[in-house]
Amino acid sequence: MAIPGQLMFARRLGPTARLLIWLGVGIACVSLDTRYQAMEGLRSGLAAVLQPVREVLRTPGVLFAEIGGFLTQHRQLQQERDALLRERMQLRSEAVSARALSSENTELRRLMQLPVRSSTQTVRAALLYQGQDWFAQRITLDQGSEAGLRAGQPVLDADGLVGQIGRVYAQSSEVWLVSNTDQLTPVMVERTGQRGLASGSGQTNLLDLRYLPAQTDIRPGDRLLTSGIDRVYPPGIPVGRVTRVTRPQASPYLRVDALPLAGIAHARTVLVLVGSPQVAPLPAQAVTP
Amino acid sequence: MSHHDASGSWQRILGSLTLAVLLTQLSWSGWALAIRPDFILVVLLYWALHRPERVSFGWAFVLGLLADFQDGVVFGQHGMAYGIGLYAAQYLRLRLLQFDPLRQAAQLLPVFLAVQLGVLLIGWLAVRPPDSLAILLPVMSNTLLWILIAGSLRLLYGKGVQHQ
Repeated sequence: MAIPGQLMFARRLGPTARLLIWLGVGIACVSLDTRYQAMEGLRSGLAAVLQPVREVLRTPGVLFAEIGGFLTQHRQLQQERDALLRERMQLRSEAVSARALSSENTELRRLMQLPVRSSTQTVRAALLYQGQDWFAQRITLDQGSEAGLRAGQPVLDADGLVGQIGRVYAQSSEVWLVSNTDQLTPVMVERTGQRGLASGSGQTNLLDLRYLPAQTDIRPGDRLLTSGIDRVYPPGIPVGRVTRVTRPQASPYLRVDALPLAGIAHARTVLVLVGSPQVAPLPAQAVTP
Repeated sequence: MSHHDASGSWQRILGSLTLAVLLTQLSWSGWALAIRPDFILVVLLYWALHRPERVSFGWAFVLGLLADFQDGVVFGQHGMAYGIGLYAAQYLRLRLLQFDPLRQAAQLLPVFLAVQLGVLLIGWLAVRPPDSLAILLPVMSNTLLWILIAGSLRLLYGKGVQHQ
């Protein structure tokens, strides 16, 4: 191949050889990254360098959303305000009864000598960047280990569970969404208390509920909450709503589809629970080896 | 060998590549994210066609690593795919330069497809099967972006951008 600027008979590797060398380097990179997690240093270095760039380049999107918000109609705003006022009234009355229940609960727990539930600490974080990854579903948040975030912490928005913190950098962090393939969330059906595992399907609007025996009482419309038995998520966070239940002939298990309640599509800010999840202490024989 | 014409100077190459990285870094979401063209790849192949002595496989690989970081995927995925794209562009270079941007784009479509299939294959082997075939959408948007960029630059500079 004649490339201008180069001697035609120079002793130089041809393009095919160079391509093969770089492919070899690439394969080494991939295996170092996937097998040995040896590239995390490069990743956090790039994250630190590109952090200000990402902060700045987030503004066009935010500006766009704000202009959109500014142009919403007056009527729509009034309706929204009315809805919020109604909701606030309802929440106030619920808060009063919740306060009473909480004090009653503390008293009962003291009587039964159970540990008192600690209130969870939260960190507010906003969407920083969403990458195009065809093999996983994740978003990048603008808070990191400096704000107290650690891998494994649950991430929620106003509607429910968004996902779990994956990689953490100094000022940013990645969230694996509940709809990510391989992401398992222990859930229970709110109506019956039946426990199960919700697994991501790779599509943002679909969760699979796995390993529910065929005679389980579950129907479309049931809400799924985190069960709290995994020591990762605190119990009672809404995860999804059952949309379809089918009974396959060949399998002893039900096929249950659910719609995730939280979504990055309608929320740009999320809450990260940074306190340790409230879990019951392990039984004594499980702790001693 | 020196190039005194302004088109294709180091500043332009670095500037356009930086612009491509920044465009990728914008907060894309939803369907816009799904059809987001691979700005870095298009710019890289443009310079591979018009300034082949300045775009090496090392460059392609490093830019690919940057793209991998931006998308949060496994390192080396885009690095290798960009290498394949660069190889194909270098191979087809003399032929492609004879055509106008529209016909160039038609012939670059298989190259973009090969790059995307490379990304697909590497991700598949390294991580897991892809969730959908949406991975092939950027092939079309890359081709459209090529028509846009190569067409407008040809309008601005004529055919002078290419090597005389």
